[in-house]
Amino acid sequence: MSTVLNIADAVVAELNAATLSLPLHAERRYVPNFDLQDMQQLQVSVVPREFHVRGLDRHRNTYEAEIDLAIQKKFQKGDAAEIDPLVSLVEEIADLFRLRRLSSYAGAIWAGTDHQVLYSQEHWDQLNQFTSLLTLTFRVAR
Amino acid sequence: MDVGPMRSVPQVMRDILRDGQRWLADQLTKHAAREVTYRRGDSESTVIATIGKTLAEQEAGEGLVMRMEIRDYLIDTALLRLDGQPTLPERGDLIIETESGKTFSYEVLPVGSQKAWRYSDPFRLKLRIHTRLIATEEV
Repeated sequence: MSTVLNIADAVVAELNAATLSLPLHAERRYVPNFDLQDMQQLQVSVVPREFHVRGLDRHRNTYEAEIDLAIQKKFQKGDAAEIDPLVSLVEEIADLFRLRRLSSYAGAIWAGTDHQVLYSQEHWDQLNQFTSLLTLTFRVAR
Repeated sequence: MDVGPMRSVPQVMRDILRDGQRWLADQLTKHAAREVTYRRGDSESTVIATIGKTLAEQEAGEGLVMRMEIRDYLIDTALLRLDGQPTLPERGDLIIETESGKTFSYEVLPVGSQKAWRYSDPFRLKLRIHTRLIATEEV
């Protein structure tokens, strides 16, 4: 299997094995499309996003894979009692990978986390839905 | 036309239009409507609603595609009551339809730049309420 898919699957396995403040089931997807009706339950989606190959030395390259994580759930009131646990969960997920190698693909080491969308205002306003996006970057030398 | 001494012609014209709108609203309620449950928190009531525009829509936002059904309900302003009191729709309210052994829950939500509801006529006789399907359950 390709490097980027190995990394994405390892992220899914790590998420599903972790003990976090909210129970979740992560899935790898190629295309992040969803039915609004599915959002009553917490949805965590892992989507390979970009892949860069750079020279490392005379014999090896660095493979850098960007993996998007979407954390989504519909809310009722959108108050702190509902949303704070979700924001905390997103940070827990980010921390889960920080400064580590992936357990089931040890060649991949964490290289960075970008949290550009803490929560989507569009989804909040239009759908009463919490949507947060994380981008994890992993590096493999080979 | 004898409009009487106390009423101006423009007032009569407005009344005719209002009467016509009232007639149309009544016809919709009598012949093109169904019973739905209108729910806000623990409060709910049964109202007669005409189903307006229904769209299957895909919305892309933040790189994600959300598929959903968007449906408008037309409800007589005077008939929408909760806990015995007249009320206006609020974002997050639910409209629940039961059909063929299933319940369909629609949440009152804005659509695009529009608010979640508006009056559908100049005389505020009917409400046009925008909703999105959020759950389908077996009864």
